[in-house]
Amino acid sequence: MLEQLLIFTRGGLILWTCKELGNALRGSPIDTLIRSCLLEERSGAASYNYDVPGAAYTLKWTFHNELGIVFVAVYQRILHLLYVEDLLAMVKREFSEIYDPKRTVYHDFDETFRQLKMEAEARAEDMKKSNPVGRTIVNGKKQGQGQKPGSEGGSKKKSEGSLKSDGGDGDNLRGHKMENGHSNDHFVVTKESKVNSNINGKENESSNVGAFDVNRLQKLKVKGGKKTDTATNTTTKASKAEPKKKMTKKNRVWDESPPETKLDFTDPVGENGESNIDVVAADQGESMMDKEEILSSESETEEDDDVGMNNKPDAKKKGWFSSMFQSIAGKANLEKSDLEPALKALKDRLMTKNVAEEIAEKLCESVAASLEGKKLASFTRISSTVHAAMEEALVRILTPKRSIDILRDVHVAKEQRKPYVVVFVGVNGVGKSTNLAKVAYWLQQHNINVMMAACDTFRSGAVEQLRTHARRLQIPIFEKGYEKDPAIVAKEAIQEASRNGSDVVLVDTAGRMQDNEPLMRALSKLIYLNNPDLVLFVGEALVGNDAVDQLSKFNQKLADLSASANPRLIDGILLTKFDTIDDKVGAALSMVYISGAPVMFVGCGQSYTDLKKLNVKSIVKTLLK
Amino acid sequence: MDEFEQWKEQVVHWWNLGLEYLHQVPPTQLYAAAAVLAFTTFLLLLTVRLFKRAKSHTIVLTGLSGSGKTVLFYQLRDGSTHQGTVTSMEPNEGTFILHSETTKKGKIKPVHIVDIPGHSRLRPKLDEYLPKAAGIVFVVDALEFLPNCRAASEYLYDILTKGSVVKKKIPLLILCNKTDKVTAHSKEFIRRQIEKEIDKLRASRSAISDADIANEFTLGVAGEQFSFSQCYNEVTTAEASGLNGEISQLEQFIRKYVKP
Repeated sequence: MLEQLLIFTRGGLILWTCKELGNALRGSPIDTLIRSCLLEERSGAASYNYDVPGAAYTLKWTFHNELGIVFVAVYQRILHLLYVEDLLAMVKREFSEIYDPKRTVYHDFDETFRQLKMEAEARAEDMKKSNPVGRTIVNGKKQGQGQKPGSEGGSKKKSEGSLKSDGGDGDNLRGHKMENGHSNDHFVVTKESKVNSNINGKENESSNVGAFDVNRLQKLKVKGGKKTDTATNTTTKASKAEPKKKMTKKNRVWDESPPETKLDFTDPVGENGESNIDVVAADQGESMMDKEEILSSESETEEDDDVGMNNKPDAKKKGWFSSMFQSIAGKANLEKSDLEPALKALKDRLMTKNVAEEIAEKLCESVAASLEGKKLASFTRISSTVHAAMEEALVRILTPKRSIDILRDVHVAKEQRKPYVVVFVGVNGVGKSTNLAKVAYWLQQHNINVMMAACDTFRSGAVEQLRTHARRLQIPIFEKGYEKDPAIVAKEAIQEASRNGSDVVLVDTAGRMQDNEPLMRALSKLIYLNNPDLVLFVGEALVGNDAVDQLSKFNQKLADLSASANPRLIDGILLTKFDTIDDKVGAALSMVYISGAPVMFVGCGQSYTDLKKLNVKSIVKTLLK
Repeated sequence: MDEFEQWKEQVVHWWNLGLEYLHQVPPTQLYAAAAVLAFTTFLLLLTVRLFKRAKSHTIVLTGLSGSGKTVLFYQLRDGSTHQGTVTSMEPNEGTFILHSETTKKGKIKPVHIVDIPGHSRLRPKLDEYLPKAAGIVFVVDALEFLPNCRAASEYLYDILTKGSVVKKKIPLLILCNKTDKVTAHSKEFIRRQIEKEIDKLRASRSAISDADIANEFTLGVAGEQFSFSQCYNEVTTAEASGLNGEISQLEQFIRKYVKP
């Protein structure tokens, strides 16, 4: 059943709710939808999933952009209601006829809605009868797609301790097969599969797809069973393999070399050569973080001209006279087909700026959704309207959601007498250690006692590299050599910091590819064990389409492999090598969009002072240039 | 097409006539006419601008998401909260006579009230409205104050240090909303807490100067505990309850700066 249907203005006033349905919703799905979906330029998506203890809702929405109203329908996720989209479209049509901006109460809509709902339900019923298989498959697919982002939170803990439950699932499946074999009744099967999906979680969602086709269902289930089997196999394999690896790692002996040489050179022996490094970096001047950037206001006007030039080819297509006339008179309502050429040009422009394709696509969809049906003001071109909407959207995305005032957070932690812990994570070679040193330098400039923790116990030379930085900056470093568990090293470092009164601990970790499961597991452990105040993802500005993959996989792995119920995700982004990319600043947008985390620092050079804050306005300007 | 050609000929004809006439008129007269024309348009624009600036009647409602700005907006406009509100995605704007004043006789100047969404992604919108504001109302949730204290203080700090606010000394009202609830904090408590929090912020913010948010001015007197009395502009506190419609203090504030 439909749980709730709301009609509200974009300003936030509820115009009409269905009182008949009147079920109190658990939590606040609507507010969450607006905050985490519609305001994040994700309104191009088909549906949104909302989870609270005790309920799982799916929300669908549609906009009426000309009037500025939003229609949202809420229903229980396990019920795949087919008529919701239909109903929303009908409600939109009917309601827009009686809408009046001055009116705020619409009691007379109750009756209309009842009729619409009955109509929609009847139509859905007909559809089901006439064409059960095709229809449900389509719906199921959609459902699956919609669920991907939302369900990340749902099936977190599976991978670790799911041996037992997998066994259970297997039994379950077998049981179903038997039953399905006996009964050919469609409806029984659907019910069953629903229960099934409840128990098994997401993995068997696929079986729901073919709910009405018994044969298909069985096939799928067999497949599903196999899948789980293989999954358990691999996990057991992995768990078996791991201890072995550790054993070998501890004392690997090559045939030729003498057996008992010490591999671990990291003890602070104090080689006489190195100790001579003069402390150059005691003061290299102000870090760039502290310098104000002066924006040239001239570039703005230039840009407008530029935009005009770029737009001309679009306008030409429709003929000079008609477009001129349109721009003077103002077009009635924007339709999708009108927007398409301008959006396509915009998408291409974003992609030349190194924005990941997927994200450029989604952004354009979202902008289209926000413009469709709007009236074009007189003396404006479609392309400039689209351009303005995109600019607004970009500013909105790049404006940080959380405070990025680290110094303030450090002071709070100082008051609570515990060190502020920052963990730097990222793939190989993006510049984690270098930028860690820059951050350390910046913090030091503000009279904060910094300590470094060398938790890259994997790559040889990593500890020495950090030690060199520490020596140059005269910062204490905590190190335990190689081949130790980084999580433990970090923990000891934090203890040490609280003993000697350091305010900030900067934890350097080994670089890892986002697909490397054992390393990601180790990282997840490190974060879970030490619960840092800030997890900083270090990413290159050079990265293109891979940015999406890196960040989403890092986030997902951190969530999946964590032992706690609400895992820590990436809190902020440090963008490195920003000086090398000229105007291809798209990576900043891709990363922020995919993770929702703000860009906290930008590394833009080789010296300690080359650390900046992201300038949202200039980035947006560059992106749309 | 023929018609078009005809039109064209006509236009060319007129054009030539006009040119001939111009040649007959002495050039000095022409220059004088042009100068007069330019001068009058310039004067007109100037007066329009001055006029606009003189009678600013905009009150900006701002504050964190969920503090009750939209409810207050509709209380001021219609005297009712209707059926509740959800998170705003766009500013609510309206020029109207306050609901409580609709029964009064005589001519009353309407107020332009803007309710700016509190979601941090929509904050850049604030800059559009601040330069023409006659007063700012910063709404604080008195019920859920402590968990949001830091965020609210940061937001308030940003507003108080904006160039447009400091230069024009726009008065600001810290409105503690939801005081109908028993567990709500008092306005004195909230004021003290925010002052403390801003004092700490001052230390950390004066250290960094962001490239974007550029706090153009510093607050208070250096080396002294911060209090709102040190601000360039007037900062007052008041209580209200949006749901129950107890908004008399808010209305007083509005009418103090937008004279009826």
